[in-house]
Amino acid sequence: QNILTVCFSVGYSAVALNHVIDFKEKKQEIIKPVSPSELFPSLPIVQGTSKRIKVLTRLTLVVSDPSHCNLLRSTSANIRLYDIIAVFPKTEKLFHIACTTLDVDLVCINVTEKLPFYFRRPPVNMAIDRGIYFELLYTPAIKDSTMRRYTISNAISLMQICKGKNIVISGAAERPLELRGPYDVANLGLLFGLSEGEAKAAVSTNCRATILHGETRKSACGVVYTVKKPRKVEEEETGVPACKKAKTQA
Amino acid sequence: AAAFERRVLRRAAEHHYLRVRLELPDGGARPNAAQFKQLVVTALRELHGEVGAALPVDVLTYEEKTLSAILRVVSSGLVKLWSALTLLGFYQNRRCAFRVLQTSPFLLALSGSSRELVL
Repeated sequence: QNILTVCFSVGYSAVALNHVIDFKEKKQEIIKPVSPSELFPSLPIVQGTSKRIKVLTRLTLVVSDPSHCNLLRSTSANIRLYDIIAVFPKTEKLFHIACTTLDVDLVCINVTEKLPFYFRRPPVNMAIDRGIYFELLYTPAIKDSTMRRYTISNAISLMQICKGKNIVISGAAERPLELRGPYDVANLGLLFGLSEGEAKAAVSTNCRATILHGETRKSACGVVYTVKKPRKVEEEETGVPACKKAKTQA
Repeated sequence: AAAFERRVLRRAAEHHYLRVRLELPDGGARPNAAQFKQLVVTALRELHGEVGAALPVDVLTYEEKTLSAILRVVSSGLVKLWSALTLLGFYQNRRCAFRVLQTSPFLLALSGSSRELVL
């Protein structure tokens, strides 16, 4: 809760609470996410606007085996309660599957160790077409100098393949002192090789597009941000064009 | 007829100014001005090596009570300095964080902050 207060004071307008599930341990069940209203009775207002800060919930699945992905296809009720779903592939095959067929919003790129596989252009291009974003963490870079090198080297190799599109830079802060402001993080994007506009988008526009992509997963075919009609909740592949249109209109 | 001359400067300003604040958890000695400069140079060396540490950075003002300072750096070195300050994690084995409050190519712009306006 402390961390969230610092987030708000530094200037973020939406925060997602992450819940990591690792499939190596047996008997993992997906727990209901903590509802944001339990933590804060009333959310403070974003600096400079009159809207309230959004607190969302997010699930990260660490997959090292193709059978773990079956969980995403099952109609477990708890998965739908999360706003954003991210997958952390550990092998090249899983990376390919995650980019092409899995129904997720984010693909996490490992920054704490040397990547065991090289990125190839076809799955990355398919992911960009589907509206899936690649996520890089910056918090390990603050803790340790070896992890700093891995972060920067993995980020640069990702940039060379995807040319800077569809990148989201996020932090996994466990303490309030590990958090950094949005402009600082956008500056880190410049270090990774993004251009200035892309770096700022990595912190702002792309994140918002991810949130909208998560919302389209819950609805039947798509979301237009200004008008949202309640639809039946179905687990189906959603169309990307609606999401992209919403991004340019909003 | 009033004669006036309009000058357009196409090159960006020479120096960039940053207002930063160091956040240290309570307890323990606070750095004085020299130690603060040393900390900034160390951060640059950790991230950008000797070339980064040689970047001409000046601490224009430093307040020990609030641990806030105004730094000046050559414009071409702004990205390096800012990223080095962002990724600094430890000061004397204590966790710390640099918060960059304002940055501008003009020193006058640092005197007021639009974020502190009450809407």
